[in-house]
Amino acid sequence: MNVHDESNWASKVERLEVSDELAHAGFNIAGKRVAGAQQGFGKLWQRRYSIDLGTTVTPEQVVADWKQRFATYWPDGATFHVALTGLQPGTVSPIAIASGAPGLTVSTGILVLYMDDISFTFMCPEGHMFAGWITFGAEEDAIGATVADVKILIRTSDPIYELGWPVMKGKEDAFWSATLVNLAKDHGITDVPVEETTSCVDRKRLWHNWTNVRHNSGLRSAWHTATTPFRSLRT
Amino acid sequence: MTTSYPVATQGDPPVAVIALSGQIDRSALAALNEAYDTVASSSTQSVLLDFHDVDYINSTGIALIVGILGRARAENRSVLATGLTEHYQHIFAITRLSDFIAVYPDVSSALSGATSS
Repeated sequence: MNVHDESNWASKVERLEVSDELAHAGFNIAGKRVAGAQQGFGKLWQRRYSIDLGTTVTPEQVVADWKQRFATYWPDGATFHVALTGLQPGTVSPIAIASGAPGLTVSTGILVLYMDDISFTFMCPEGHMFAGWITFGAEEDAIGATVADVKILIRTSDPIYELGWPVMKGKEDAFWSATLVNLAKDHGITDVPVEETTSCVDRKRLWHNWTNVRHNSGLRSAWHTATTPFRSLRT
Repeated sequence: MTTSYPVATQGDPPVAVIALSGQIDRSALAALNEAYDTVASSSTQSVLLDFHDVDYINSTGIALIVGILGRARAENRSVLATGLTEHYQHIFAITRLSDFIAVYPDVSSALSGATSS
């Protein structure tokens, strides 16, 4: 094997560390471990969202822009915090997502696991809605058009999130479709449909991981929000 | 050129050995699934992924391996690996694949591992 890709991968971390500048947003992921699909609870799903960007941009241009302006492509209601150093393998970025409940934002995050010229991959931390990987990429199709896509390999993290999967699945569809539409718009392309495919790789739930519920980012965010006034009194 | 990965049955109890080669990225999808389909049609209880002739794995390749792991676990098969360089052992550790895929230095030790597991 050669080693030309070593710098594309994150270094091994036992526990996630959030930079000082983002510590206020990363309270729910600091000290957590990453969670691959086999550390999750629910069925294992493979999902792909894709959009045809035509022939005016190359995969490398699209992915370079996507890395640089990742947060700006997200739809309203979600915030992706990026450190001043930008996205690089090993970067830990907090995320805040509107829960749908009044006043409650779910705080979680990601680790940048991998980056090359035509793709980059995030890995979820313990407590995130999902355990697994999400890869953003672009490639040329058979006729030379650039197709950008989001590929997701996940299980829900715990029984609570598994119960919410039917709702979360729809939210995921809307979220990543909107993200790809925003990416396309930024490259001057409009009115292009987003295609979605979903397959279940493993229908078995990993019941021994039910204890992941102790890390549940929704519950922990709710607790954090509820106790904010008391923390303010102490400081 | 069409990629294919030979599947052989070795050891006692029998272990299906998939001899991977080249780059494990999105181009490996069809060949990897085809190889695993061969394993799925057999009665072997373990599958060994032999990475000795692999020269590159990207994150899509890792996802493909997770897909194989998911299929194998759904069928109550264990998954083993051999031939991973130190770098890719490190990647297996980062991604926590090594929590579920036992990694061995060579095929014979993997077959022994399958016997003892």
